[in-house]
Amino acid sequence: MFYRRAGILHTRYQDERQLWPFAFDRGLVATVLAILLVAPFAFDRIYLVTYLLPWIIWSSAALGLNLLMGGAGQVHLGYGAVMGIGAYASVHLLRAGIPLELALLAGGLASAAIGSLFGAAALRVKGLYLAMATLAMQYIVDFIISHFSIISGGSQATLQVPPVRFLGVSLASDAAAYYFALLICVGIVLFMLNVRRTSFGRALAAVREKDYAAAVIGVDSFRFKLVAFFVSSFVGGMVGCVMAVSYYRAVSPDQFHLDLSIQLVAMVIVGGLGSVLGSFFGAALILFAPIVLNHAVAFGADTFGVGISADLRAHLPLMLYGAMIVGFLLWEPLGLAKIYNNARNYFMVWPLRHNR
Amino acid sequence: MSVTRRTLLSQAAVIALATQFRIDPAAAQEKVIRFAMPQDFTKIYTFVTAEYSQGQKDYIALVNARGGINGYRILAEVSDQGNDLPRAIEQYERAKSQGAILVDPLGTPAARALTPRALADKINLITAYSGRSDAADGTVFPYIFPLSPNYWTQIALLIDYFRTQSGGDLKGKKICFVHIDTPFGKEPLPILKRLQEKLGFELSTFPYTPPGNDQSAIWPQVRRARPDWVVFWGAGVGQTVALTEAIRNGLPLSKVSSSVWLSESDMDVVGRQQAAGVLKVEPCASGREPRLIQQILKEVVEPGKGSGAAEKVGTAYYNYGVMITSIMVEGVRQAFAKAPNGPISGEWLNAGLSSITNFEAEGLIPPTTVTPQDHQGGGKARIARWDGTKFVPATDWFTAYQDVVWDEIRTTAAEFQKSGK
Repeated sequence: MFYRRAGILHTRYQDERQLWPFAFDRGLVATVLAILLVAPFAFDRIYLVTYLLPWIIWSSAALGLNLLMGGAGQVHLGYGAVMGIGAYASVHLLRAGIPLELALLAGGLASAAIGSLFGAAALRVKGLYLAMATLAMQYIVDFIISHFSIISGGSQATLQVPPVRFLGVSLASDAAAYYFALLICVGIVLFMLNVRRTSFGRALAAVREKDYAAAVIGVDSFRFKLVAFFVSSFVGGMVGCVMAVSYYRAVSPDQFHLDLSIQLVAMVIVGGLGSVLGSFFGAALILFAPIVLNHAVAFGADTFGVGISADLRAHLPLMLYGAMIVGFLLWEPLGLAKIYNNARNYFMVWPLRHNR
Repeated sequence: MSVTRRTLLSQAAVIALATQFRIDPAAAQEKVIRFAMPQDFTKIYTFVTAEYSQGQKDYIALVNARGGINGYRILAEVSDQGNDLPRAIEQYERAKSQGAILVDPLGTPAARALTPRALADKINLITAYSGRSDAADGTVFPYIFPLSPNYWTQIALLIDYFRTQSGGDLKGKKICFVHIDTPFGKEPLPILKRLQEKLGFELSTFPYTPPGNDQSAIWPQVRRARPDWVVFWGAGVGQTVALTEAIRNGLPLSKVSSSVWLSESDMDVVGRQQAAGVLKVEPCASGREPRLIQQILKEVVEPGKGSGAAEKVGTAYYNYGVMITSIMVEGVRQAFAKAPNGPISGEWLNAGLSSITNFEAEGLIPPTTVTPQDHQGGGKARIARWDGTKFVPATDWFTAYQDVVWDEIRTTAAEFQKSGK
């Protein structure tokens, strides 16, 4: 009924090859995009600045990590450091008077270069060992940033982002900063949706499933793993720059600690490995569940006059948050994107019961 | 799993419910002054925040029970930001949209992240014992108020105390500085270097890796260095570990000192008797004797209106909370004295906060004067010694080497100003 799936088969290759073969999906994407585009005028400022903007930025970062984790099957526990490299590189360039367009790319390239350097060393090992090697990268980068005051910016360790323009538009206003982040995010989404249909994406999938088998069919697994590290780090570096320029407006080492890396890994896993949509769901859950639960617990305690202690009041949301993550993963180990997909499949031929 | 109509409906219901939480607009007709305290109760500061916040809430309860200020109640919204920056920013923006005119995040990462926003939004950001040390320069940071001796002042106070205890001369004396290896831990280094040139003591620094729950490799080196004085500089778990290691290595505790971050709760971990003799910087009186704490006990805690465990009243961090809140409220009083009819806004409170003169909170704190230039409040504190049961003042309120400290404040503040707009 919604998707009009029953009985319709594509008759042209290009219909089948579209990113969204169903008119309903196209409509949904267009609607979401339209809402995001009018958001600065439609929503209260607080929702724009503290929900939509971080959601878009963290989702972009999760997409970059998802290419590596879901696309190529390589764990990375140092993605926060990758973003930090991009943020610091681009902010230093911005402070030196380089325009944002170039600083953004340079930030990406700096991350990609250092990220794939670590990747080359780390890729001699696999699985849990790779996780440890990337964790080491996180700590090394943290250490270098905070120990070289020429990078971190002296004893107060905060670098202000100077006023910047992107394509001639000043990013000083909230709306401009939001549109900048949205533009980068849309670019990354389109790239990620298409990359899996290229020979590169298919090679990554082969490497992900079994790298020996990939080598047997002629896919150079080391090379493709390295390229995956490069591309994913490039995206991470760009998003680090966006985060600094349009969200924090200042960089300090504590923004890119292990916490961020773990947060991103959680977003990818809870959202769904390898899923573009899942990155958005995962980012929303990991970023906002603590906030919403906190408000809900506070609201509940105030409204119903439950005299819970300050300690419990602070920790109850954390317990609920943990239970929520475990619950979602028990319910559907393949992540939130799979839950969405199950619902979508159900509606595909609704009100009939079976799809094929 | 398969999706059935029932699970779908129940999910839809959950989502529909979840979207119902919205901001409650500030009640315009009610006479309130809104403060916001998005603090870290769960991640790093934990018990520090719990005790500090208890002091804040009890003091505000005292003020409100006495009829508020000029008939206005103080409404403090306390929330947990978990040392997570997006959460801190969300709570800050929410507070702003509700009309808060003062925000106290008690945490360096959050304070640093909120500094550019507070400056742009003209909301008074309290960064007591946290945030940027150079925020003491009110000309560069008009809306940032440390209101407490910053870390540069604290180390200067300690060095001056060591000097007087060594007979007025530190030449040739050896001072070991053991610190957590983070920007916060390295903060005192420029001042230490400057004072080293000035006073001619020997300085050895010993960084330990964060969070500092294992320092067993560092302290034997400290012992072998045979220091005349030792300063340990950290926060949270690192402090108790440092003190334990100092005891284990047989360092004379009467020559070992901490910054303001040492409290009765730390002593419970280390062992109250074992830690006897250790020194700390005390920005306000501790214990229950100060008149203000007595009043809180009588008017808030005894009637059962206290916000936490009664035995925590009068502990070091509780008193820090009372101290900072009393200065905030004094700022409100001064603001009313300057402009009794408001309008109540960040600018209005800013005028009050920066015209506090010789405020002593009934003997709880050293005479504190905040001016539009000096947001540190004069930089007075005292050195206190733990005697096994409580902190006993070893000096009177004093301040030291403010010229050196202010040189550093002005230099870094100028850098900040240059890099901004």
